[in-house]
Amino acid sequence: MEITKELKPIHRGAEAYLYLIDWFGKKAILKHRLPKKYRHSKLDTLLRRRRTVAEVRAIKEALRIGVMVPAIYYVDPIEAIIVMEYLPYPSLSGIIEGGDLEKAIRASEQVGRYAAKLHEEGISHGDLTTSNVLVGDHVYLIDFGLASLHSTERDNAVDVHLFLRSLESTHPEHVDTVFRAFLDGYRSIRGEKTEKILGLVEEIRLMGRYKAERRTLWGQQ
Amino acid sequence: MVNVDTPSSLGRPRGNPRVLYPLLDWDREVLVLGIESTAHTFGVGVASTKPPYILSSVRDTYRPEKGGIHPREAAGHHARVAPEVLAEALRVAGISMNDVDAVAVALGPGLGPCLRVGATIARGLAAYYGKPLVPVNHAIAHIEVGRLYTGLQDPVILYVSGGNTMVAAFAKKRYRVFGETLDVALGNLLDTFARDAGLAPPYIVEGLHVVDKCAEEATEPADLPYVVKGMDVSFSGLLTAALRAWQHARSKAEKASICLGLREIAYGAAVEVAERGLAHTKKNAVLLTGGVAASPILREKIGIMASYHSANAGWPPPPIAGDNGAMIAWVGLLNYLAEITINIDESFVRQRWRPDEVEVPWR
Ligand SMILES: Nc1ncnc2c1ncn2[C@@H]1O[C@H](COP(=O)(O)OP(=O)(O)OP(=O)(O)O)[C@@H](O)[C@H]1O
Ligand SMILES: [Mg+2]
Repeated sequence: MEITKELKPIHRGAEAYLYLIDWFGKKAILKHRLPKKYRHSKLDTLLRRRRTVAEVRAIKEALRIGVMVPAIYYVDPIEAIIVMEYLPYPSLSGIIEGGDLEKAIRASEQVGRYAAKLHEEGISHGDLTTSNVLVGDHVYLIDFGLASLHSTERDNAVDVHLFLRSLESTHPEHVDTVFRAFLDGYRSIRGEKTEKILGLVEEIRLMGRYKAERRTLWGQQ
Repeated sequence: MVNVDTPSSLGRPRGNPRVLYPLLDWDREVLVLGIESTAHTFGVGVASTKPPYILSSVRDTYRPEKGGIHPREAAGHHARVAPEVLAEALRVAGISMNDVDAVAVALGPGLGPCLRVGATIARGLAAYYGKPLVPVNHAIAHIEVGRLYTGLQDPVILYVSGGNTMVAAFAKKRYRVFGETLDVALGNLLDTFARDAGLAPPYIVEGLHVVDKCAEEATEPADLPYVVKGMDVSFSGLLTAALRAWQHARSKAEKASICLGLREIAYGAAVEVAERGLAHTKKNAVLLTGGVAASPILREKIGIMASYHSANAGWPPPPIAGDNGAMIAWVGLLNYLAEITINIDESFVRQRWRPDEVEVPWR
Protein backbone atom coordinates (compact mmCIF):
# COMPACT_ATOMS: atom_id res chain seq x y z
CA MET A 1 0.00 0.00 0.00
CA GLU A 2 1.69 3.16 -1.23
CA ILE A 3 0.12 5.93 0.85
CA THR A 4 0.81 4.22 4.16
CA LYS A 5 4.54 4.04 3.42
CA GLU A 6 5.01 7.66 4.40
CA LEU A 7 2.90 7.52 7.53
CA LYS A 8 3.87 6.45 10.99
CA PRO A 9 1.34 4.15 12.64
CA ILE A 10 -0.21 5.36 15.89
CA HIS A 11 -1.03 1.77 16.80
CA ARG A 12 0.50 -1.51 15.72
CA GLY A 13 -2.13 -4.12 16.48
CA ALA A 14 -1.94 -7.83 15.91
CA GLU A 15 -3.61 -7.72 12.53
CA ALA A 16 -3.66 -4.08 11.51
CA TYR A 17 -1.67 -0.87 11.60
CA LEU A 18 -3.63 2.27 12.42
CA TYR A 19 -2.67 5.69 11.10
CA LEU A 20 -3.97 9.12 12.02
CA ILE A 21 -4.66 10.95 8.76
CA ASP A 22 -6.32 14.07 7.46
CA TRP A 23 -9.57 13.34 5.66
CA PHE A 24 -10.87 16.47 3.95
CA GLY A 25 -9.90 18.60 6.92
CA LYS A 26 -11.07 16.13 9.54
CA LYS A 27 -8.84 13.85 11.57
CA ALA A 28 -9.47 10.23 10.64
CA ILE A 29 -8.18 6.74 11.37
CA LEU A 30 -6.88 4.62 8.53
CA LYS A 31 -6.88 0.93 9.44
CA HIS A 32 -4.83 -1.31 7.21
CA ARG A 33 -4.95 -5.07 7.67
CA LEU A 34 -1.49 -6.36 6.91
CA PRO A 35 -0.62 -9.47 4.92
CA LYS A 36 0.73 -12.32 7.05
CA LYS A 37 3.32 -14.60 5.56
CA TYR A 38 2.60 -17.31 8.12
CA ARG A 39 -0.64 -18.12 6.32
CA HIS A 40 -0.99 -19.40 2.76
CA SER A 41 -1.35 -16.28 0.59
CA LYS A 42 -4.73 -17.35 -0.78
CA LEU A 43 -6.16 -17.85 2.69
CA ASP A 44 -4.58 -14.65 3.96
CA THR A 45 -6.00 -12.51 1.15
CA LEU A 46 -9.43 -14.01 1.67
CA LEU A 47 -9.38 -13.40 5.43
CA ARG A 48 -8.24 -9.79 5.21
CA ARG A 49 -10.90 -8.94 2.66
CA ARG A 50 -13.60 -10.78 4.50
CA ARG A 51 -12.79 -9.06 7.78
CA THR A 52 -12.62 -5.63 6.19
CA VAL A 53 -16.07 -6.10 4.72
CA ALA A 54 -17.43 -7.67 7.91
CA GLU A 55 -16.19 -4.73 9.95
CA VAL A 56 -17.86 -2.15 7.72
CA ARG A 57 -21.14 -4.02 7.50
CA ALA A 58 -21.36 -4.63 11.23
CA ILE A 59 -20.57 -0.99 11.99
CA LYS A 60 -23.35 0.06 9.64
CA GLU A 61 -25.82 -2.25 11.40
CA ALA A 62 -24.65 -1.10 14.82
CA LEU A 63 -25.27 2.51 13.85
CA ARG A 64 -28.76 1.64 12.68
CA ILE A 65 -29.75 0.17 16.07
CA GLY A 66 -28.20 2.89 18.20
CA VAL A 67 -24.90 1.37 19.20
CA MET A 68 -22.19 4.04 19.07
CA VAL A 69 -19.38 3.22 16.65
CA PRO A 70 -16.94 5.20 14.49
CA ALA A 71 -18.46 6.52 11.25
CA ILE A 72 -17.03 4.90 8.14
CA TYR A 73 -15.59 7.32 5.55
CA TYR A 74 -14.06 4.94 3.03
CA VAL A 75 -13.43 1.27 2.45
CA ASP A 76 -11.18 -0.65 0.06
CA PRO A 77 -11.70 -4.39 0.52
CA ILE A 78 -8.99 -5.30 -2.00
CA GLU A 79 -6.29 -3.42 -0.09
CA ALA A 80 -8.03 -4.25 3.22
CA ILE A 81 -8.25 -0.59 4.22
CA ILE A 82 -10.92 1.28 6.16
CA VAL A 83 -10.93 5.00 6.86
CA MET A 84 -13.12 5.90 9.81
CA GLU A 85 -13.95 8.63 12.28
CA TYR A 86 -11.21 9.39 14.78
CA LEU A 87 -12.42 8.90 18.34
CA PRO A 88 -9.82 10.50 20.62
CA TYR A 89 -10.77 8.56 23.72
CA PRO A 90 -9.09 6.08 26.05
CA SER A 91 -10.06 2.42 26.00
CA LEU A 92 -12.07 0.80 28.79
CA SER A 93 -8.96 -1.25 29.51
CA GLY A 94 -7.00 1.95 30.10
CA ILE A 95 -9.71 3.34 32.35
CA ILE A 96 -9.80 0.24 34.54
CA GLU A 97 -6.01 0.16 34.82
CA GLY A 98 -5.98 3.91 35.48
CA GLY A 99 -8.14 3.27 38.52
CA ASP A 100 -11.31 5.18 37.63
CA LEU A 101 -13.52 2.31 38.63
CA GLU A 102 -16.72 4.33 38.78
CA LYS A 103 -16.33 5.38 35.18
CA ALA A 104 -15.37 1.85 34.20
CA ILE A 105 -18.49 0.44 35.81
CA ARG A 106 -20.75 2.94 34.06
CA ALA A 107 -19.07 2.19 30.73
CA SER A 108 -19.34 -1.57 31.25
CA GLU A 109 -23.04 -1.29 31.89
CA GLN A 110 -23.33 0.50 28.56
CA VAL A 111 -21.23 -2.18 26.86
CA GLY A 112 -23.67 -4.73 28.28
CA ARG A 113 -26.60 -2.80 26.77
CA TYR A 114 -24.78 -2.52 23.44
CA ALA A 115 -23.95 -6.21 23.34
CA ALA A 116 -27.56 -7.09 24.14
CA LYS A 117 -28.89 -4.78 21.39
CA LEU A 118 -26.51 -6.32 18.87
CA HIS A 119 -27.44 -9.83 19.98
CA GLU A 120 -31.14 -9.05 19.68
CA GLU A 121 -30.45 -8.23 16.03
CA GLY A 122 -28.44 -11.40 15.46
CA ILE A 123 -25.11 -9.59 15.43
CA SER A 124 -22.16 -10.86 17.43
CA HIS A 125 -19.05 -8.74 17.85
CA GLY A 126 -16.49 -11.56 17.90
CA ASP A 127 -13.80 -9.68 19.84
CA LEU A 128 -15.62 -8.06 22.72
CA THR A 129 -12.80 -7.07 25.08
CA THR A 130 -12.00 -4.06 27.23
CA SER A 131 -9.49 -2.89 24.56
CA ASN A 132 -12.20 -2.63 21.95
CA VAL A 133 -14.33 -0.19 23.92
CA LEU A 134 -13.51 3.52 23.79
CA VAL A 135 -14.91 5.77 26.51
CA GLY A 136 -15.58 9.48 26.00
CA ASP A 137 -18.84 11.32 26.69
CA HIS A 138 -20.36 8.30 25.03
CA VAL A 139 -19.21 4.71 24.96
CA TYR A 140 -18.08 3.36 21.56
CA LEU A 141 -17.51 -0.16 20.30
CA ILE A 142 -14.72 -0.66 17.75
CA ASP A 143 -12.88 -3.47 15.94
CA PHE A 144 -15.75 -5.43 14.33
CA GLY A 145 -13.58 -7.49 11.96
CA LEU A 146 -14.66 -10.79 13.55
CA ALA A 147 -18.35 -9.85 13.73
CA SER A 148 -21.13 -12.02 12.36
CA LEU A 149 -24.45 -10.69 11.11
CA HIS A 150 -26.15 -14.04 11.54
CA SER A 151 -25.18 -14.93 15.05
CA THR A 152 -26.57 -17.85 16.99
CA GLU A 153 -27.17 -17.61 20.73
CA ARG A 154 -23.96 -19.55 21.10
CA ASP A 155 -22.03 -16.90 19.16
CA ASN A 156 -23.65 -14.31 21.41
CA ALA A 157 -22.59 -16.26 24.47
CA VAL A 158 -19.03 -16.31 23.15
CA ASP A 159 -19.12 -12.48 23.18
CA VAL A 160 -20.08 -12.52 26.85
CA HIS A 161 -17.41 -15.12 27.56
CA LEU A 162 -14.77 -13.00 25.78
CA PHE A 163 -15.68 -9.92 27.76
CA LEU A 164 -15.52 -11.85 31.02
CA ARG A 165 -12.21 -13.44 30.05
CA SER A 166 -10.63 -10.15 29.13
CA LEU A 167 -11.46 -9.05 32.67
CA GLU A 168 -10.01 -12.24 34.16
CA SER A 169 -6.78 -12.08 32.20
CA THR A 170 -6.10 -8.36 32.17
CA HIS A 171 -7.98 -6.92 35.14
CA PRO A 172 -8.22 -9.81 37.61
CA GLU A 173 -8.79 -7.48 40.58
CA HIS A 174 -11.99 -6.08 39.14
CA VAL A 175 -13.70 -9.06 37.56
CA ASP A 176 -16.70 -9.16 39.90
CA THR A 177 -17.71 -5.50 39.93
CA VAL A 178 -17.13 -4.81 36.26
CA PHE A 179 -18.78 -7.98 35.02
CA ARG A 180 -21.78 -7.40 37.26
CA ALA A 181 -22.24 -3.98 35.68
CA PHE A 182 -22.00 -5.51 32.22
CA LEU A 183 -24.67 -8.05 33.13
CA ASP A 184 -26.94 -5.39 34.57
CA GLY A 185 -26.77 -3.57 31.26
CA TYR A 186 -27.25 -6.74 29.27
CA ARG A 187 -30.20 -7.84 31.35
CA SER A 188 -31.89 -4.44 31.05
CA ILE A 189 -32.30 -5.13 27.31
CA ARG A 190 -32.53 -8.91 27.02
CA GLY A 191 -34.29 -9.73 30.31
CA GLU A 192 -35.01 -13.44 30.68
CA LYS A 193 -32.83 -14.41 27.74
CA THR A 194 -29.82 -13.39 29.79
CA GLU A 195 -30.05 -16.53 31.91
CA LYS A 196 -29.99 -18.69 28.82
CA ILE A 197 -26.91 -16.85 27.57
CA LEU A 198 -25.21 -17.35 30.93
CA GLY A 199 -25.99 -21.05 30.77
CA LEU A 200 -24.31 -21.18 27.37
CA VAL A 201 -21.34 -19.22 28.69
CA GLU A 202 -20.87 -21.81 31.40
CA GLU A 203 -21.18 -24.56 28.83
CA ILE A 204 -18.55 -22.93 26.61
CA ARG A 205 -16.21 -22.64 29.57
CA LEU A 206 -16.62 -26.30 30.43
CA MET A 207 -16.26 -27.49 26.84
CA GLY A 208 -12.52 -27.93 26.63
CA ARG A 209 -11.18 -30.95 28.42
CA TYR A 210 -9.63 -29.03 31.25
CA LYS A 211 -11.84 -25.99 31.59
CA ALA A 212 -12.62 -24.31 34.88
CA GLU A 213 -14.94 -25.88 37.36
CA ARG A 214 -18.40 -24.39 37.35
CA ARG A 215 -17.95 -20.83 38.53
CA THR A 216 -20.64 -18.96 40.40
CA LEU A 217 -19.67 -15.46 39.37
CA TRP A 218 -23.03 -14.80 37.81
CA GLY A 219 -24.84 -16.68 40.57
CA GLN A 220 -26.72 -13.54 41.58
CA GLN A 221 -29.36 -14.60 39.01
CA MET B 1 7.41 -48.31 24.19
CA VAL B 2 9.81 -46.65 26.61
CA ASN B 3 11.54 -43.44 25.50
CA VAL B 4 14.69 -42.63 27.40
CA ASP B 5 16.23 -39.15 27.33
CA THR B 6 19.54 -38.18 28.86
CA PRO B 7 21.18 -34.77 29.28
CA SER B 8 23.10 -35.34 26.06
CA SER B 9 20.07 -36.47 24.01
CA LEU B 10 18.14 -33.40 25.19
CA GLY B 11 20.89 -30.88 24.59
CA ARG B 12 21.96 -28.18 26.98
CA PRO B 13 19.19 -25.91 28.32
CA ARG B 14 19.79 -22.35 27.09
CA GLY B 15 18.29 -20.72 30.15
CA ASN B 16 20.25 -19.91 33.29
CA PRO B 17 18.13 -20.55 36.39
CA ARG B 18 19.91 -17.80 38.30
CA VAL B 19 18.66 -15.35 35.70
CA LEU B 20 15.24 -16.92 35.22
CA TYR B 21 14.57 -17.37 38.95
CA PRO B 22 16.64 -14.84 40.86
CA LEU B 23 14.46 -15.23 43.95
CA LEU B 24 15.47 -18.85 44.55
CA ASP B 25 18.63 -20.14 46.21
CA TRP B 26 20.67 -21.88 43.50
CA ASP B 27 23.62 -22.54 45.80
CA ARG B 28 21.71 -25.38 47.43
CA GLU B 29 22.13 -28.87 46.05
CA VAL B 30 18.66 -30.27 45.53
CA LEU B 31 17.36 -33.24 43.54
CA VAL B 32 13.66 -33.68 42.75
CA LEU B 33 11.90 -36.62 41.16
CA GLY B 34 8.86 -35.73 39.03
CA ILE B 35 5.94 -37.87 37.91
CA GLU B 36 3.68 -37.07 34.98
CA SER B 37 0.47 -39.02 34.29
CA THR B 38 -2.18 -36.46 33.32
CA ALA B 39 -3.17 -38.02 29.98
CA HIS B 40 -1.70 -40.67 27.68
CA THR B 41 1.94 -40.38 28.80
CA PHE B 42 3.43 -41.80 31.95
CA GLY B 43 6.75 -40.11 32.57
CA VAL B 44 9.35 -39.80 35.30
CA GLY B 45 12.23 -37.32 35.35
CA VAL B 46 14.90 -36.04 37.70
CA ALA B 47 15.81 -32.36 38.08
CA SER B 48 18.77 -30.79 39.83
CA THR B 49 19.73 -27.27 40.95
CA LYS B 50 23.09 -27.87 39.23
CA PRO B 51 23.83 -28.17 35.49
CA PRO B 52 22.67 -29.88 33.35
CA TYR B 53 19.49 -29.35 35.48
CA ILE B 54 17.54 -32.18 33.86
CA LEU B 55 19.30 -35.46 34.66
CA SER B 56 16.85 -37.84 33.04
CA SER B 57 13.47 -38.05 31.36
CA VAL B 58 11.85 -41.41 30.76
CA ARG B 59 8.36 -41.91 29.41
CA ASP B 60 6.01 -44.45 27.99
CA THR B 61 3.01 -43.36 25.95
CA TYR B 62 -0.24 -45.27 25.75
CA ARG B 63 -1.40 -45.65 22.16
CA PRO B 64 -4.89 -47.04 21.71
CA GLU B 65 -5.29 -49.54 18.86
CA LYS B 66 -8.14 -47.50 17.46
CA GLY B 67 -10.29 -44.57 18.48
CA GLY B 68 -9.39 -41.88 20.96
CA ILE B 69 -7.99 -42.09 24.44
CA HIS B 70 -9.87 -44.26 26.93
CA PRO B 71 -9.01 -42.85 30.35
CA ARG B 72 -9.35 -46.15 32.18
CA GLU B 73 -7.25 -48.09 29.70
CA ALA B 74 -4.63 -45.34 29.77
CA ALA B 75 -4.60 -45.55 33.56
CA GLY B 76 -4.11 -49.31 33.34
CA HIS B 77 -1.20 -48.76 30.99
CA HIS B 78 0.37 -46.24 33.37
CA ALA B 79 0.12 -48.61 36.32
CA ARG B 80 1.76 -51.39 34.27
CA VAL B 81 4.72 -49.36 32.98
CA ALA B 82 5.33 -47.30 36.13
CA PRO B 83 7.91 -49.54 37.87
CA GLU B 84 10.12 -49.81 34.80
CA VAL B 85 9.87 -46.09 33.91
CA LEU B 86 10.69 -45.07 37.48
CA ALA B 87 13.68 -47.44 37.73
CA GLU B 88 15.04 -46.28 34.38
CA ALA B 89 14.72 -42.58 35.27
CA LEU B 90 16.71 -43.14 38.48
CA ARG B 91 19.28 -45.28 36.69
CA VAL B 92 19.87 -42.73 33.90
CA ALA B 93 20.20 -39.95 36.50
CA GLY B 94 22.66 -42.14 38.41
CA ILE B 95 20.84 -41.78 41.71
CA SER B 96 18.67 -43.78 44.09
CA MET B 97 15.44 -42.78 45.81
CA ASN B 98 17.42 -42.00 48.95
CA ASP B 99 19.30 -39.20 47.15
CA VAL B 100 16.09 -37.45 46.19
CA ASP B 101 15.04 -34.42 48.26
CA ALA B 102 11.39 -34.40 47.20
CA VAL B 103 8.83 -36.17 45.06
CA ALA B 104 6.80 -33.98 42.69
CA VAL B 105 3.64 -34.96 40.90
CA ALA B 106 1.30 -33.37 38.37
CA LEU B 107 -2.00 -33.21 40.25
CA GLY B 108 -3.83 -31.69 37.29
CA PRO B 109 -5.28 -30.68 34.96
CA GLY B 110 -5.96 -33.98 33.27
CA LEU B 111 -8.03 -37.14 33.15
CA GLY B 112 -9.11 -38.40 36.57
CA PRO B 113 -8.13 -42.07 36.27
CA CYS B 114 -4.74 -41.19 34.78
CA LEU B 115 -4.01 -38.51 37.36
CA ARG B 116 -4.80 -40.89 40.18
CA VAL B 117 -2.13 -43.38 39.05
CA GLY B 118 0.62 -40.78 39.24
CA ALA B 119 -0.69 -39.35 42.50
CA THR B 120 -0.90 -42.78 44.13
CA ILE B 121 2.66 -43.64 43.15
CA ALA B 122 4.00 -40.26 44.27
CA ARG B 123 2.23 -40.48 47.62
CA GLY B 124 3.58 -44.00 48.11
CA LEU B 125 7.16 -42.97 47.33
CA ALA B 126 6.96 -39.88 49.51
CA ALA B 127 5.56 -41.84 52.45
CA TYR B 128 7.87 -44.84 52.12
CA TYR B 129 11.09 -42.84 51.69
CA GLY B 130 10.02 -40.02 54.00
CA LYS B 131 10.28 -37.29 51.35
CA PRO B 132 8.15 -34.17 51.01
CA LEU B 133 5.46 -34.30 48.33
CA VAL B 134 5.32 -31.35 45.92
CA PRO B 135 2.20 -30.51 43.86
CA VAL B 136 2.72 -29.35 40.28
CA ASN B 137 0.32 -27.84 37.76
CA HIS B 138 0.86 -29.56 34.41
CA ALA B 139 0.35 -26.43 32.26
CA ILE B 140 2.79 -24.42 34.36
CA ALA B 141 5.31 -27.26 34.04
CA HIS B 142 5.15 -26.97 30.23
CA ILE B 143 5.76 -23.24 30.50
CA GLU B 144 8.62 -23.33 33.01
CA VAL B 145 10.56 -26.15 31.40
CA GLY B 146 10.10 -24.25 28.12
CA ARG B 147 11.67 -21.19 29.69
CA LEU B 148 14.53 -23.31 31.00
CA TYR B 149 15.32 -24.79 27.59
CA THR B 150 14.82 -21.61 25.53
CA GLY B 151 16.08 -19.06 28.04
CA LEU B 152 13.13 -16.77 27.21
CA GLN B 153 12.63 -14.52 30.21
CA ASP B 154 9.04 -13.36 29.81
CA PRO B 155 7.36 -14.86 26.76
CA VAL B 156 3.80 -15.14 25.55
CA ILE B 157 3.15 -18.86 25.56
CA LEU B 158 1.36 -20.84 22.87
CA TYR B 159 0.74 -24.23 24.42
CA VAL B 160 -0.62 -26.68 21.87
CA SER B 161 -1.10 -30.37 22.55
CA GLY B 162 -3.64 -33.15 22.29
CA GLY B 163 -5.73 -31.73 25.12
CA ASN B 164 -4.81 -28.05 25.20
CA THR B 165 -4.68 -25.02 22.97
CA MET B 166 -3.87 -22.03 25.12
CA VAL B 167 -2.37 -18.56 24.91
CA ALA B 168 -0.97 -17.52 28.26
CA ALA B 169 1.40 -14.93 29.69
CA PHE B 170 2.67 -13.88 33.08
CA ALA B 171 0.87 -10.85 34.54
CA LYS B 172 0.12 -9.76 38.08
CA LYS B 173 1.82 -12.70 39.83
CA ARG B 174 0.22 -15.46 37.77
CA TYR B 175 0.15 -17.10 34.39
CA ARG B 176 -3.01 -15.63 32.92
CA VAL B 177 -4.96 -17.35 30.19
CA PHE B 178 -5.67 -14.95 27.33
CA GLY B 179 -7.08 -17.41 24.83
CA GLU B 180 -8.07 -21.04 24.45
CA THR B 181 -9.86 -23.37 22.13
CA LEU B 182 -13.63 -23.17 22.39
CA ASP B 183 -13.90 -26.88 21.60
CA VAL B 184 -11.24 -29.21 20.15
CA ALA B 185 -7.52 -28.87 20.89
CA LEU B 186 -5.07 -28.47 17.98
CA GLY B 187 -3.39 -31.84 18.46
CA ASN B 188 -6.72 -33.55 18.83
CA LEU B 189 -7.94 -31.91 15.60
CA LEU B 190 -4.94 -33.19 13.63
CA ASP B 191 -5.07 -36.67 15.14
CA THR B 192 -8.82 -37.10 14.79
CA PHE B 193 -8.76 -35.96 11.17
CA ALA B 194 -5.80 -38.22 10.36
CA ARG B 195 -7.48 -41.21 11.97
CA ASP B 196 -10.94 -40.71 10.48
CA ALA B 197 -9.47 -39.96 7.04
CA GLY B 198 -7.48 -43.18 7.19
CA LEU B 199 -4.09 -41.46 7.18
CA ALA B 200 -3.15 -42.80 10.62
CA PRO B 201 -1.89 -44.66 12.59
CA PRO B 202 1.02 -44.10 12.62
CA TYR B 203 0.47 -40.39 13.28
CA ILE B 204 4.06 -39.27 12.92
CA VAL B 205 6.20 -40.34 9.97
CA GLU B 206 9.82 -39.18 9.63
CA GLY B 207 9.26 -36.51 12.27
CA LEU B 208 6.21 -35.06 10.48
CA HIS B 209 2.55 -35.38 11.36
CA VAL B 210 0.77 -37.30 8.59
CA VAL B 211 -1.47 -34.26 7.95
CA ASP B 212 1.65 -32.12 7.38
CA LYS B 213 2.98 -34.81 5.06
CA CYS B 214 -0.23 -35.19 3.07
CA ALA B 215 -0.35 -31.38 2.64
CA GLU B 216 3.07 -31.35 0.99
CA GLU B 217 1.54 -32.65 -2.25
CA ALA B 218 -0.79 -29.64 -2.63
CA THR B 219 -0.37 -26.07 -3.75
CA GLU B 220 -3.91 -24.74 -3.30
CA PRO B 221 -5.55 -25.04 0.11
CA ALA B 222 -9.17 -26.17 0.16
CA ASP B 223 -11.66 -23.59 1.41
CA LEU B 224 -12.61 -24.62 4.95
CA PRO B 225 -13.97 -22.65 7.93
CA TYR B 226 -11.52 -20.41 9.80
CA VAL B 227 -12.80 -19.42 13.23
CA VAL B 228 -11.00 -17.01 15.55
CA LYS B 229 -12.92 -15.11 18.22
CA GLY B 230 -10.99 -12.72 20.39
CA MET B 231 -7.94 -14.78 21.33
CA ASP B 232 -9.92 -18.02 21.16
CA VAL B 233 -9.97 -20.53 18.33
CA SER B 234 -12.62 -23.04 17.38
CA PHE B 235 -11.73 -26.17 15.42
CA SER B 236 -14.84 -28.35 15.56
CA GLY B 237 -16.42 -26.80 12.44
CA LEU B 238 -13.12 -27.17 10.60
CA LEU B 239 -12.86 -30.84 11.54
CA THR B 240 -16.39 -31.63 10.38
CA ALA B 241 -16.01 -29.72 7.11
CA ALA B 242 -12.63 -31.28 6.33
CA LEU B 243 -13.92 -34.80 6.92
CA ARG B 244 -17.01 -34.16 4.82
CA ALA B 245 -14.87 -32.80 1.96
CA TRP B 246 -12.58 -35.83 2.30
CA GLN B 247 -15.51 -38.21 1.76
CA HIS B 248 -16.33 -36.50 -1.52
CA ALA B 249 -12.76 -36.11 -2.72
CA ARG B 250 -11.93 -38.28 -5.71
CA SER B 251 -8.35 -37.56 -6.66
CA LYS B 252 -5.19 -37.61 -4.64
CA ALA B 253 -4.71 -33.94 -5.51
CA GLU B 254 -8.08 -33.06 -4.03
CA LYS B 255 -7.23 -34.90 -0.83
CA ALA B 256 -3.89 -33.15 -0.56
CA SER B 257 -5.56 -29.77 -0.89
CA ILE B 258 -7.88 -30.67 2.00
CA CYS B 259 -4.84 -31.50 4.12
CA LEU B 260 -3.23 -28.21 3.15
CA GLY B 261 -6.41 -26.26 3.88
CA LEU B 262 -6.78 -27.94 7.25
CA ARG B 263 -3.15 -27.35 8.15
CA GLU B 264 -3.03 -23.73 7.02
CA ILE B 265 -6.24 -22.88 8.84
CA ALA B 266 -5.43 -24.77 12.02
CA TYR B 267 -1.84 -23.51 12.34
CA GLY B 268 -2.76 -20.10 10.97
CA ALA B 269 -5.48 -19.63 13.60
CA ALA B 270 -3.22 -20.84 16.42
CA VAL B 271 -0.42 -18.50 15.34
CA GLU B 272 -2.89 -15.66 14.93
CA VAL B 273 -4.18 -15.93 18.51
CA ALA B 274 -0.60 -16.10 19.77
CA GLU B 275 0.07 -12.93 17.77
CA ARG B 276 -2.97 -11.29 19.35
CA GLY B 277 -1.59 -12.28 22.76
CA LEU B 278 1.79 -10.80 21.88
CA ALA B 279 0.31 -7.49 20.65
CA HIS B 280 -2.00 -7.30 23.64
CA THR B 281 0.59 -7.99 26.34
CA LYS B 282 3.41 -6.12 24.52
CA LYS B 283 5.89 -8.84 25.48
CA ASN B 284 8.97 -9.40 23.34
CA ALA B 285 9.11 -13.17 23.04
CA VAL B 286 6.98 -16.17 22.12
CA LEU B 287 7.38 -19.65 23.54
CA LEU B 288 5.86 -22.49 21.55
CA THR B 289 5.34 -25.64 23.57
CA GLY B 290 3.21 -28.78 23.96
CA GLY B 291 3.28 -31.86 21.76
CA VAL B 292 2.36 -29.98 18.56
CA ALA B 293 5.46 -27.79 19.02
CA ALA B 294 7.29 -30.69 17.36
CA SER B 295 5.83 -29.58 14.00
CA PRO B 296 8.56 -27.84 11.96
CA ILE B 297 5.85 -26.11 9.96
CA LEU B 298 4.20 -24.62 13.01
CA ARG B 299 7.60 -23.51 14.33
CA GLU B 300 8.41 -21.76 11.10
CA LYS B 301 5.08 -19.92 11.22
CA ILE B 302 5.64 -18.85 14.82
CA GLY B 303 9.07 -17.56 13.83
CA ILE B 304 7.61 -15.45 11.00
CA MET B 305 4.92 -14.07 13.29
CA ALA B 306 7.46 -13.14 15.98
CA SER B 307 9.58 -11.30 13.42
CA TYR B 308 6.66 -8.94 12.67
CA HIS B 309 6.86 -7.77 16.27
CA SER B 310 10.65 -7.86 16.64
CA ALA B 311 10.11 -10.63 19.18
CA ASN B 312 12.21 -13.71 19.87
CA ALA B 313 10.68 -17.12 19.28
CA GLY B 314 11.71 -20.37 20.88
CA TRP B 315 10.62 -23.91 21.57
CA PRO B 316 12.11 -26.73 23.63
CA PRO B 317 13.26 -29.98 22.00
CA PRO B 318 10.27 -32.26 21.22
CA PRO B 319 10.76 -34.73 24.13
CA ILE B 320 10.64 -31.73 26.50
CA ALA B 321 7.81 -29.91 24.66
CA GLY B 322 5.50 -32.94 24.87
CA ASP B 323 4.26 -34.46 28.12
CA ASN B 324 7.13 -35.76 30.24
CA GLY B 325 8.25 -36.27 33.83
CA ALA B 326 11.26 -33.95 33.65
CA MET B 327 9.07 -30.85 33.45
CA ILE B 328 7.20 -31.97 36.56
CA ALA B 329 10.53 -32.53 38.30
CA TRP B 330 11.67 -29.06 37.22
CA VAL B 331 8.65 -27.19 38.59
CA GLY B 332 8.75 -29.55 41.59
CA LEU B 333 12.26 -28.23 42.18
CA LEU B 334 11.14 -24.59 41.88
CA ASN B 335 8.25 -25.23 44.24
CA TYR B 336 10.46 -27.08 46.70
CA LEU B 337 12.97 -24.20 46.75
CA ALA B 338 10.01 -21.86 47.33
CA GLU B 339 8.88 -24.13 50.19
CA ILE B 340 5.69 -25.31 48.53
CA THR B 341 4.82 -28.84 49.57
CA ILE B 342 1.56 -30.62 50.26
CA ASN B 343 0.37 -33.05 52.93
CA ILE B 344 -0.23 -36.50 51.54
CA ASP B 345 -3.79 -36.60 52.82
CA GLU B 346 -4.53 -33.28 51.11
CA SER B 347 -2.98 -34.19 47.77
CA PHE B 348 -6.19 -34.55 45.78
CA VAL B 349 -6.05 -34.63 42.00
CA ARG B 350 -7.62 -31.63 40.25
CA GLN B 351 -8.94 -32.46 36.82
CA ARG B 352 -9.66 -28.86 35.87
CA TRP B 353 -6.86 -27.08 37.65
CA ARG B 354 -6.23 -23.90 35.70
CA PRO B 355 -2.82 -22.20 35.62
CA ASP B 356 -4.29 -18.87 36.74
CA GLU B 357 -5.42 -20.50 39.99
CA VAL B 358 -1.78 -20.90 41.01
CA GLU B 359 0.11 -18.03 42.59
CA VAL B 360 3.65 -18.21 41.20
CA PRO B 361 6.15 -17.47 43.99
CA TRP B 362 9.35 -17.78 42.00
CA ARG B 363 8.82 -14.86 39.61
N1 LIG C 1 -11.84 5.11 15.33
C1 LIG C 1 -10.84 5.16 16.21
N2 LIG C 1 -10.53 6.29 16.84
C2 LIG C 1 -9.52 6.38 17.72
N3 LIG C 1 -8.76 5.31 18.07
C3 LIG C 1 -9.02 4.14 17.50
C4 LIG C 1 -10.06 3.98 16.55
N4 LIG C 1 -10.08 2.72 16.14
C5 LIG C 1 -9.08 2.09 16.81
N5 LIG C 1 -8.43 2.93 17.63
C6 LIG C 1 -7.30 2.61 18.53
O1 LIG C 1 -6.47 1.65 17.91
C7 LIG C 1 -6.50 0.41 18.61
C8 LIG C 1 -6.54 -0.76 17.66
O2 LIG C 1 -7.69 -0.69 16.83
P1 LIG C 1 -8.46 -2.01 16.37
O3 LIG C 1 -8.85 -2.75 17.58
O4 LIG C 1 -9.52 -1.60 15.42
O5 LIG C 1 -7.30 -2.75 15.53
P2 LIG C 1 -6.63 -4.19 15.75
O6 LIG C 1 -5.63 -4.43 14.71
O7 LIG C 1 -7.68 -5.18 15.93
O8 LIG C 1 -5.81 -3.93 17.04
P3 LIG C 1 -5.62 -4.92 18.26
O9 LIG C 1 -4.89 -6.09 17.72
O10 LIG C 1 -4.80 -4.08 19.20
O11 LIG C 1 -6.99 -5.22 18.75
C9 LIG C 1 -7.71 0.50 19.50
O12 LIG C 1 -7.57 -0.27 20.66
C10 LIG C 1 -7.77 2.00 19.79
O13 LIG C 1 -6.89 2.32 20.82
MG1 LIG D 1 -8.65 -4.18 18.92
